[in-house]
Amino acid sequence: MLEQILTMGFFTAFFSAMVRMAVPLIYAGLGEMFAEKAGILNIGMEGVMLSGAFCSFAGAMFSGSLMIGLLCGILGGIAVGMIHAVLSIKLAQNQSVSGIAINMFVLGVTSFFSRILKEGKSYQQLTTFSTIKIPGLRSIPLIGDALFNQDIFTYFLYVLIIVMTVFYAKTAKGLAFQAVGEHPRAADAAGIPVHKYQYIAMLVNGILGGIGGAYLVLVQLGVFTENMISGRGYIALAAVILGRYTPVGTFGAALIFGGANALQIRLQAVGVPLPAQALAMLPYIITLIALLGSIGRSNEPESLSKPYIRGSR
Amino acid sequence: MKKLVAMALSLTLAVSMLTACGGTKETKAETSAETTAETSGETTAAADGESLKVALCVTGAVNDMGFCQSAYEGLVLLEEKYGAEIAYTENLQAADMAAAFTDYAANGYDIVIGHGFQFGDPALEVGAQYPDTTFICTEAAAASDNVASYVMSCEQGGYIEGMLAASMTKSNKIGFIGPIEGASLIKIMNGFEDGAKSINPDIEVQTAWTGSFTDTALAKEAAQAMIDSGVDFIAHDANECGNGAIAAAQEAGIYATGDSYDQHELAPETVLTSSMYNVPLVIESAYLDVVNGTFKGEVKYLGMAEGVVEMAPYYDMESAIPEDVRTMIDEKIEAIKSGEFVVPLDENIRK
Repeated sequence: MLEQILTMGFFTAFFSAMVRMAVPLIYAGLGEMFAEKAGILNIGMEGVMLSGAFCSFAGAMFSGSLMIGLLCGILGGIAVGMIHAVLSIKLAQNQSVSGIAINMFVLGVTSFFSRILKEGKSYQQLTTFSTIKIPGLRSIPLIGDALFNQDIFTYFLYVLIIVMTVFYAKTAKGLAFQAVGEHPRAADAAGIPVHKYQYIAMLVNGILGGIGGAYLVLVQLGVFTENMISGRGYIALAAVILGRYTPVGTFGAALIFGGANALQIRLQAVGVPLPAQALAMLPYIITLIALLGSIGRSNEPESLSKPYIRGSR
Repeated sequence: MKKLVAMALSLTLAVSMLTACGGTKETKAETSAETTAETSGETTAAADGESLKVALCVTGAVNDMGFCQSAYEGLVLLEEKYGAEIAYTENLQAADMAAAFTDYAANGYDIVIGHGFQFGDPALEVGAQYPDTTFICTEAAAASDNVASYVMSCEQGGYIEGMLAASMTKSNKIGFIGPIEGASLIKIMNGFEDGAKSINPDIEVQTAWTGSFTDTALAKEAAQAMIDSGVDFIAHDANECGNGAIAAAQEAGIYATGDSYDQHELAPETVLTSSMYNVPLVIESAYLDVVNGTFKGEVKYLGMAEGVVEMAPYYDMESAIPEDVRTMIDEKIEAIKSGEFVVPLDENIRK
């Protein structure tokens, strides 16, 4: 048993799996972080991802093009994100209620349409995006394959994390977006259009969440199945908190979740004599332990999930 | 403005209730109205001249294109073929099952069918109060004078898949992926292992449970983990989320088998065959037992002999499977059908 686990081959494959499992979480996590830093809590991330997954499948199936599929996935994510944006920004409603309603709504809608789409027809799996090997870097032992033998989505993610980190740390716009989430009244007084910025944040939320869902269909599976996000939207919410509202932190937290899930399924396959349920708990136990480490240091934006109404007290 | 929000939100909730979780009972008035309208024209007499009243209870929607729909199709078959008077209740939660059963029994239904193992206990409870009504549960273990369980011998399909896997593998490592550990799913996994070991006792069978019926990406990751460690044949009983397992097999260029319905189209060069379960036939056979007086209050197993469990055709993959393997599998299926060979039934998880 142990000699099966403690090999280079096992760890190389495990690290690859960890990144694969983490990528949709990172996209959704970054999207969620962007919205939360601007004061909008989107519990409906699960719905955003599910809509992205379904629309990307439908788009790619009808057009026969993966790029059009991706575009449809992004638009699907934006559509759901905008429902939340209108409810929570323009109408200043309770963001938790809106998010939960969105999750239930999107689950119903996508299941309904996927049945119509599949009715009486057999269909084939889509050919998915292929991997691009980066020569040189990919021959690094252990992590080379995991980081540099992946698809275009994964590479774009590296760029995105760097861009977002610089955006928040070095640019005036980045600071303005954070001001909107911390103290919208002060931001408003300083001439920042609070609501406009929040809409932009929700647009980014929809785009990234949509890509996260589309990734599962266009890169990993080639099919849409009902409720296929299976809680990844909620895990992304946790990754943001665990990552202390920073892009790199969110990336790391998503890797922990993805890694724990990849590990438990691998331990089952090699036949570790533990019940499957005990192994399935692993990601959540790791989360709890990790959360213990961040007690007392709240990085939550001050005005998170508080609607900003101009002129009111 | 506030009103608009309230309206939008309540609309959102209403739509999602309708499509996602349901929760409300289909009213009988509505169903019987529509069924009588349909039956009036084409009623055919039942085998012995009288038509029975049959009710079906399911846990999901009758148009779910899966588990519940297959039972509903069986019910409609009873109406069309035997002129039975039918009614159904969908989206039943555990707490409402006994109430639904009582409702039907009190209204003079002759047969009340509960589709799913969850209906076992409510059937026993209500069955004791209404001895004149026959209660049938699928996939359950309940039995008394007027309660019977009709169980599909899905392990037979698993056994055949295991034989096929063990015959096709070159690495002598094969994998099986299940969704949530339930008796009716564990027995398929164990059947697969037994079938494989009947060909090669030393074969390594890797297994994993995704812990979810919907997490397709995790099912793929499980298959990928197995493929990374040398597995070159993947089978599953994970319904829709098994699509992920097939996707991994297709990418790796190895063979796989499907489950529940013919999954050939999904990956024509990967899926060799699929186990298919004929639920309408289970409903029909239960109905005929009651009509013909052959009903017994017992747990009844229906398998390949009754046509309830079937293997899908090989299609173009026939040439990929050596002729002697195909002959051997055909002979085994015949032996199972004739009762000459009995696939061991083991509903306990092995580790």
